[in-house]
Amino acid sequence: MARYDELAGLLGGMDSRPQADPDLSAAAAAAVVHEARLLDAGRFEDWLAGWTSDAVLWVPLSAPTHPGTDQSLLLDDRRRLAERVDWRREPSAWGQHPPSRTTRVVGSVEAWPAPGNGIVTRSTLLVDEFRHGRHQALAGYQIHELVGDGLMRRTKILVVPALGTGVRNPSFLL
Amino acid sequence: MTAIDSHLTHAELDHLVQPHRVHRRIYTDPQIFDVEMTRVFAASWCYVGHESEIPEPGDYRTTTLGRRPVLMTRDRDGAVNVLLNRCTHRGTVLAVEAGGCAKRFVCPYHGWTFAPDGQLVAIPFPADHPVEDRSSLSLGRLETASYRGFVFATLNAEPEPLDCWLGEAREAFDAIVDRHPGGEIAVMGSPQLLEFVGNWKLSWDNAADGLHATFAHESYNTLGEMVDTETVLARDPGSTPMVSKALRNGHMVVDQRPGIPQGPWATMRKVPFREPMETTLVDAGDADLLDLATGSMVNLSLFPNLLFVGNQLLVIEPVAVDRTRLQLWLTSAPGAPAEIDLLRLRVDEDFVNFGTPDDLDMFERVQRGLSIPEMEWIDMSRGLPDDVGAGDDATIHGPITSEAPQRRYLAHYAKLMTNPAPTRAR
Ligand code: FES
Ligand SMILES: [Fe+2]
Repeated sequence: MARYDELAGLLGGMDSRPQADPDLSAAAAAAVVHEARLLDAGRFEDWLAGWTSDAVLWVPLSAPTHPGTDQSLLLDDRRRLAERVDWRREPSAWGQHPPSRTTRVVGSVEAWPAPGNGIVTRSTLLVDEFRHGRHQALAGYQIHELVGDGLMRRTKILVVPALGTGVRNPSFLL
Repeated sequence: MTAIDSHLTHAELDHLVQPHRVHRRIYTDPQIFDVEMTRVFAASWCYVGHESEIPEPGDYRTTTLGRRPVLMTRDRDGAVNVLLNRCTHRGTVLAVEAGGCAKRFVCPYHGWTFAPDGQLVAIPFPADHPVEDRSSLSLGRLETASYRGFVFATLNAEPEPLDCWLGEAREAFDAIVDRHPGGEIAVMGSPQLLEFVGNWKLSWDNAADGLHATFAHESYNTLGEMVDTETVLARDPGSTPMVSKALRNGHMVVDQRPGIPQGPWATMRKVPFREPMETTLVDAGDADLLDLATGSMVNLSLFPNLLFVGNQLLVIEPVAVDRTRLQLWLTSAPGAPAEIDLLRLRVDEDFVNFGTPDDLDMFERVQRGLSIPEMEWIDMSRGLPDDVGAGDDATIHGPITSEAPQRRYLAHYAKLMTNPAPTRAR
């Protein structure tokens, strides 16, 4: 499928990109940091509103990989993103009730122009999760494709190497 | 007897595992855990991997068996070997990657070199090495056998043949494999790995627990209701015609098929990218294959480490008395149109994201609760008395609310723990 190939291409081609564009990087940083704050604050409805209708959130288990050949932690379209928000609001979703308290540290934001007035950006991410009196810290990087004047999220790929070694309930990863 | 063995006498185990209740200590005592790694895991047939993961000579995969690092390899002759992943010189683990292809395993410490069948094929500077019979320095081997491509291994010195050990479980096993076109089933590349802070038996207690779906998975069922989909877990456990079975050797089956007359596909909410794939299949006249995109609806649990759930193989890896790793492997249907596996990828994520987190939370909560020394017992009495009919070996059938499967596997567990079978590497 074309969309799957697009995702695999975006992920696979990231390491060989040239140095980023400083102005675009600054604009992208504001968007990516804002998203991190919405998630940490539990403002999931506001977060959902920032996605395009053809959005994909993909969390593969390793990289490089292809969403049509290997298991992923998740690959959500807009419909499943909305379900995810509904699920978190369900008091009986025990895996997130009480919810994880997360702190996201976003760094090293780089951005490049993408076809059709869009931006592709890569940033590093450290997420610390605190829940049930324990915490775990997961690090990785994220790729966003942001489109339009509002820099809406069309694509997000989150790569967390520790997913390949075994983590506790990762349902806070978005 | 070693100190650990005397710590766990026959009478004491009888006290800890009773027909209607079990003691918290079997979930919390590190010494009992250590004994389990040999008496339960090493002495039983454990699932190691699937032949489709290592199609070519030299292909290998690593895993653990009762915490022992092991290697599954395909040798030059095409045979599958399960070997202890430990250099026979000074003990270095040979392969540290999840898998790969290696004509030889060269120990990084002093260069001893082993073939994929475990033979020691080279020692550097052999002139001053006194060993004449190199075969005594082959890698440790496990007894290995396959059923329908699924590779099992054991360190039991005199294991029951795999077929007999599976026994009645073969019926469900065959049902799971045979629904794939041509009886062909394969296992996809890399697993998802999840850990929980709890004892490995918590996942075992849960595997045939038909009652928890109503409570622990309420949120999963609510997501279904929001889009008018009655999930497989949303059925009234007290009246559904689904059947649970407690088999010999601790194996368990929950057959959900009688409870979902509309078939498995009708129990699924829409997954991402479902529409284009569904359309392709329907247009090709393959609408009846859509059920293959979901699980068989037969949950089979093979004690002590393999659960068939949905289209996944769930492999239980004990890490510590209060730490367990779950390997979630996805199976594919090589004989079906490509859309089936593409759908499986997204279907597979559904329960892992909206159901499994609830199970993991329950496991961790139970482990915390079991830390209270003054509250000793876990109740397992629902559905008693068990009708064992023809005798100890007969399958016990019951409603899915019965705790007969839990009682039965724990009785088998107690037998393994109190009558230890000798174990050895070949
Ligand atoms: S430990 Fe392997 S060669 Fe010495
Ligand atoms: Fe469950």
